[in-house]
Amino acid sequence: MRYGTGPDVLHQVNLTLAPGSFHFMVGPSGAGKSSLLRLMYLAHHPSSGRLSIFGRDVSQQDRTELTMLRRRIGIIFQDFRLLDHLTALENVALPLTITGNPLDKVRRNVSELLAWVGLADFLDAKPPTLSGGQQQRVAIARAVIARPSLLLADEPTGNLDDKIAERLLFLFEELNKRGTTIVVASHNEALVNRFNHPVFKIVNGEVRLIKDIQSPPLQKTPGAT
Amino acid sequence: MFGARNDVPLDRDASSRFLPWLIAVMVYLATMALVVAITMNKLANRWDQGLSNSLTIQVPTGQTPADRQSTERKLIDLQNQLAQLDNVEKVDILNDAELNKLMEPWLGKDVHLQDLPIPFLVSVELEQSNVKTIDAINTLITQNFPEASVDDHQRWLGNLLGLAKVIQMVSLLVVLLVGGAAGLMVILVTRMGLAIHKQVVELFHHMGAHDSYIATRFQIHALKLSTAGGLSGLLLAGFTIASFSTLLGQANSSILPSLTFSLAEWGLLLLMPLGASLIAMMTARLTVLRSLALMP
Repeated sequence: MRYGTGPDVLHQVNLTLAPGSFHFMVGPSGAGKSSLLRLMYLAHHPSSGRLSIFGRDVSQQDRTELTMLRRRIGIIFQDFRLLDHLTALENVALPLTITGNPLDKVRRNVSELLAWVGLADFLDAKPPTLSGGQQQRVAIARAVIARPSLLLADEPTGNLDDKIAERLLFLFEELNKRGTTIVVASHNEALVNRFNHPVFKIVNGEVRLIKDIQSPPLQKTPGAT
Repeated sequence: MFGARNDVPLDRDASSRFLPWLIAVMVYLATMALVVAITMNKLANRWDQGLSNSLTIQVPTGQTPADRQSTERKLIDLQNQLAQLDNVEKVDILNDAELNKLMEPWLGKDVHLQDLPIPFLVSVELEQSNVKTIDAINTLITQNFPEASVDDHQRWLGNLLGLAKVIQMVSLLVVLLVGGAAGLMVILVTRMGLAIHKQVVELFHHMGAHDSYIATRFQIHALKLSTAGGLSGLLLAGFTIASFSTLLGQANSSILPSLTFSLAEWGLLLLMPLGASLIAMMTARLTVLRSLALMP
């Protein structure tokens, strides 16, 4: 994978994520973790090779089909990307409202989810009035509201102290138990090692499995990129 | 539709503040240009209808009073002969009072016309302009007064109508140019909006929003701004038309046009803000869709 005519950011990436798996992705800043996540949430096409998601070759999908695939992916961005002019409730409801569900119809579900992440009293609060941790929970709620099949989290613990970061990862484990495939990118290897999940590391643009715990493990698929 | 909150915070952009003003100016200019085109069309029609069915015959009076009296008698004969021709509605020999009135702007009041070599003027009204009738009139005049001249107004009327047509075409061209400029402006503003809200647009795209959903946000925004601007421009044009109409009414001149419009013409003028809104809406939508097509 490369950006424009620049050098390869990632190369020789051969990996398969089994449905319902939980993976950590580690590596120093600038190693290419976010780039690999961008490939996974279909924000970028691989410059060569093949990318399949939910069993479908991305290059063979038309624009509408790609949109439908994206709806099955939840993303937690490193910088949250909340919309400051919308309330916490409206932000979380976005993945539902953009697919044609009126806010009034989804209000109850969204409120329940916000209560689940501990923000029951902040439904009408706008992001700038929330703390970093609260904004992060809004971002997480937004990523999971549409019950995605795949949840991608880019440095979700970056701004948190270890205790809160650990609680957040427990929350991801809860979601994983409900069947969501999870990939968490983090530069905090110490925190990652406290959890019993496979870890792959990006070094010099290559993805290496450094910890393989239990099924479903990473499987090498020849030709898959 | 206008009341719903836009997911993309476009209302906060600086472009949102100046676009309605620009659209207002555009609609004002387009409406005024259209008013000129409509008015010129009506004026040309009036001139055409008023003058193309009439002729003026000039007959020299002669050197002496005896010549004058003889010409007068022959003129009455000619009047009778002309009146008997097919397609001739009315033949009038202008009397001294009427000639005085015509000459008044140049010679002043109470001029003794008999002292001046002012020709006799005969006005002929036709039922409809017809070459055969005009030829018959010319023959009769040549037989009776070889030195007389006939003016069927066609030369200067043709020039005037040509000028009116050119003004009309230029006005319509202005309407088209203003429409094009409005479209270009909306493209610019929409691209600015896309650049400012790139991250929000990308977020929606990554969350699985259809391109048309994102384009609709920009489309509604453009519609809101252009409707506000368009109505302001139309209102301003309305005031200008009313003011001109009052001034023209006070002038009480048969040469100047009157600014009165039929229902269909008012409908055409109302199309200006509507057209501006439509152009803005569609331009914004297409601009966003083209930009989104570049995203994977």
